[in-house]
Amino acid sequence: MLAFKLAFKNIFGAGFRTFLNIAVLSFAFVIIIWHNGVIDGWNQQARRDTIEWEIGQGQLWHPDFDPLDYLSYPDAHAPLSAPIKALVDEGQLAPILITQASAFPQGRMQGVILKGISPQQHILKIPSSKLETSGDEAPALIGTRMAKDIKMKEGDQLLLRWRDKNGTFDALEITIAGVFNCNVPTIDGGQIWLPLERLREMTGLPGEATILVAGDGYGGGGQPPWIFKNQDYLLADLDMIIQSKKGGGAIIYGLLLIIALLAIFDTQVLSIFRRQKEIGTYIALGMTRWQVVGIFTVEGSVYSILAILLGALYGGPLLWYSAKVGWAMPAASTDMGISIAERIYPVYGVGLILFTVLLVVLTATIVSFLPARKIARLNPTDALKGKVQ
Amino acid sequence: MESIIQITNLTKQFPVGTGKFTALREINLEFHRGEFTGFVGPSGSGKTTLLNIIGSLDTPTEGEVLVLGNSVAHLTHKQSAQLRNKHLGFIFQTYNLFPVYTVYENVEFALLLQHLPAAERRKAVMDALEWVGLTDKAQSKPAQLSGGEGQRVAIARAMVKRPAIMLADEPTANLDSKNSHHILQTMKQLNEELETTFLFATHDEKVMGYLRRIISLEDGRVVKDEEIMMDKITEG
Repeated sequence: MLAFKLAFKNIFGAGFRTFLNIAVLSFAFVIIIWHNGVIDGWNQQARRDTIEWEIGQGQLWHPDFDPLDYLSYPDAHAPLSAPIKALVDEGQLAPILITQASAFPQGRMQGVILKGISPQQHILKIPSSKLETSGDEAPALIGTRMAKDIKMKEGDQLLLRWRDKNGTFDALEITIAGVFNCNVPTIDGGQIWLPLERLREMTGLPGEATILVAGDGYGGGGQPPWIFKNQDYLLADLDMIIQSKKGGGAIIYGLLLIIALLAIFDTQVLSIFRRQKEIGTYIALGMTRWQVVGIFTVEGSVYSILAILLGALYGGPLLWYSAKVGWAMPAASTDMGISIAERIYPVYGVGLILFTVLLVVLTATIVSFLPARKIARLNPTDALKGKVQ
Repeated sequence: MESIIQITNLTKQFPVGTGKFTALREINLEFHRGEFTGFVGPSGSGKTTLLNIIGSLDTPTEGEVLVLGNSVAHLTHKQSAQLRNKHLGFIFQTYNLFPVYTVYENVEFALLLQHLPAAERRKAVMDALEWVGLTDKAQSKPAQLSGGEGQRVAIARAMVKRPAIMLADEPTANLDSKNSHHILQTMKQLNEELETTFLFATHDEKVMGYLRRIISLEDGRVVKDEEIMMDKITEG
């Protein structure tokens, strides 16, 4: 307690230098929280969107289905068994049939994935009901990315060519019944959504599916031959991207923190150099060397505490405002290949704030202790004379 | 009178380059409670070194120094810190006040280390400031004080804990004649009323005029140890 009291007095006595140190450290403190808040907000939004638009509460995969291997698609389908059909009818599972095809926008050929989805499904947020209500002969849905790629809009027609289950080519002109805006690129880029029954008919695979998306009521577990993939598995790639994003961000705010800590380190080194007489006097008045080391170390901690208070003063309103209005992502971010909203709303959890407070206090204390250790080796008689040791 | 410091065959050497410099050679002295004694001699004669060893800020190379029964050479850092905190008061040539603390806080510092209750501390600090006539400067910062006032604060800080021994290293070197006499009178009064033992390191004639025992040092040796008759002591 005494060390804190003395440290506070010494720090306030140092005036403007103290303010500069505190300002730099508080800036690092606020930036760390803001950056992590953005990443956490992004993470939560990306997970939520991916669950709502793509993976539901998990998926049942055909054993041959490999989403990264298009050549697996022709073999990755199976008829739905009676129990599965019952679950589909109850709305607990949404079957999706997937096949490869070629589209011919503006006379060019482009490889696409055709996905058949039931217009009545409510598990995914894909506006599949439009496939039923459009009244077109061969309605199809595409996402905004796909629409941009193939320069198509609602009402435009597009020629498709595909192979049926026997490998025979067939072709059809579809009508874009709707363009949906979604943050999840894996259900948008290079994909065309058709009514499930229409795609089954086109491929000659009546009653079959490639995957089934589970809804809230589904209890989990596989249904042979279907293999259940839970959310953790399906979100693993996304988690990895978020982690690498966090790692990259950590380097930036780590550098910022290092600059702030360097200022404290520098101040402490200078303090010990300049305050030799004071150190000698502390010892002469009855402090042990380690008690003096304690004062100087605590001074570093006090810097961090004051920085946190200052950071809370200006950072609190700023962070609150940023959480309220969000952070608009640049247009190019839609091409990053991962789920990213047009506006990310940072999320500042208690854990994040506590972790950052601990990080700042701990690192500031350590960088103060490092130069302060020298005091333990000082000769008090030389220190009293102000002799540099 | 009770003997409170015994110095036996004290030698102190400092490493200088590859060799050694002998600052004190075979010193044998004894001090009693209530002494008002000074070490005098030219620069480099060993006055400050002797004071530092008695103050347990330094240790002997050879010999033994007993302060209030504690062998300075054998004390741990913690024990010597306790000895200094409870029984020794230091007064320095440059006052060594903490610049960011007020006069009150500077004087209070030693008591904080003793973990005394706030009310007790306050009374002791105000008594000490009254002793040196600086109650009206309690909330001033050292930078706002004159040299004489600064040294009086240093005296208050040293005496606030009522130490048995006060060690004063050239306490008047930075003061003018008037302030020097004022300071010395204050210390003499403390010595007489509280029976505090004062040991000075000085070559100031004004200080010597107040001393009751003068120990002359030359090249680290005691060359003269004389008691001064009371009637010879300068007043004011």
